[in-house]
Amino acid sequence: MKSQKIAAAFALVAMLIAPAIVQAHAFLDHSDPAVGSTVPTSPAVMHLWFTQELEPAFSWATVSDRSGTAVSDGPAAIDPGNPSELDIKLKSLPAGTYTVKWHALSVDTHTTEGDFTFQVGKG
Amino acid sequence: MRGEHSDRPSHTILRAILPAAACVLMAHSAAQAHVVCGNRVFPTTLTMDDPGVSDEMSLPTITLTPTPSGNSNSYGYEWDKTITEDLGFAVNGQYLENLTPGQYSNGWDNITLTLKDQHPCIERYKHQELAWSIGVVREITGTGSTRLVNNGSIDSVGNWAPTFYIGKGLGSLHADSLRPLAITAEVSRVFSDNPSVSPSSWSYAASLQYSMPYLNQHIKALHAPQWVTRLTPIVEVAMNSPDSGGTPTGTIAPGLLYDSNNWQLGAEALVPANGGTRQQQGTGVIIQFHVFLDTFYKDWFGKPMIKKNLWQ
Repeated sequence: MKSQKIAAAFALVAMLIAPAIVQAHAFLDHSDPAVGSTVPTSPAVMHLWFTQELEPAFSWATVSDRSGTAVSDGPAAIDPGNPSELDIKLKSLPAGTYTVKWHALSVDTHTTEGDFTFQVGKG
Repeated sequence: MRGEHSDRPSHTILRAILPAAACVLMAHSAAQAHVVCGNRVFPTTLTMDDPGVSDEMSLPTITLTPTPSGNSNSYGYEWDKTITEDLGFAVNGQYLENLTPGQYSNGWDNITLTLKDQHPCIERYKHQELAWSIGVVREITGTGSTRLVNNGSIDSVGNWAPTFYIGKGLGSLHADSLRPLAITAEVSRVFSDNPSVSPSSWSYAASLQYSMPYLNQHIKALHAPQWVTRLTPIVEVAMNSPDSGGTPTGTIAPGLLYDSNNWQLGAEALVPANGGTRQQQGTGVIIQFHVFLDTFYKDWFGKPMIKKNLWQ
């Protein structure tokens, strides 16, 4: 059928324009503690996993309490064994709600940013 | 006969239906783009444009629509290229085929060009999840099939369409379950080159989206298969209202978008929005494969030709 041939031709061209190696914007894939979660005790580290590898010099994250005071124990750092993981050591956190803000520059130079909250203690 | 145009009695009906059907289909051929501002990613919409300028390609966009006398299908393409960081152009067109019993006509539609400029996502807009653009769309007559021009399937008269595009995320709402919602809209004034032949019109469209990626990344991690976290249920409404006083026509398009890191697949039903549209078409379907070229190409195809923002 003619329409099937046309659709097949379009699909073929679509595949041909796509080279094998691809990069993209780095978005948050998941985190530990998880986005919007409640954890019973203070986590020692906030782990952020992204969908792309990050540029260490231009990727960062902060964790702050409700008053906006930073509660991280040092700057965020890329995991040496996983270039798409950003880790932030945390001080001992009392019960409360905390905001994580991240800024990511993927290795293909796309910049993205975002934020989310998590809770320590009873939800 | 397939591939040929024949002058049979049904052609009279065809002459009456096809121009209107073509108008409905044309509403699906406007330039499409995606944009990121703050936490919000506005995905590529299928029956309307959204407020972004970027390097990307829709190939193919397949529209299958039943008409009172048969079927009207289109196979579209679009290429979006950034000139500067905020200014871009788009080229799009489609191959049309009209199938009725004993009758088949096919050929290329006119090429449409879009020039669009997006206001930068400044700090205030990041918090508001706000993006907007202005643009102008030009349909270039004479670039489509002469056969389709002669049977009234495509325009013989060109038009200019200054257009305003806007997108607003609702991430600041207090109810967490509503924060993934976003609205995009566009409105065009379509100035016909010859209103006595083809009337000028207003074209307007809007979408309501519920972003599962937004929910998963910014509100509450979903303990669900990854493909679920990449879906965006969406409803698009696209209408065209001619100055001649004719009934507005358009579609309501509920569907789903799936976004990978580098491409997007979308499928929506095309439901006639009113009685006027139902006289021209039944419920159809639109399917689109969309590639973000900036994630594939680091050279000319994937980045602005001039590294400059005209707003700054």
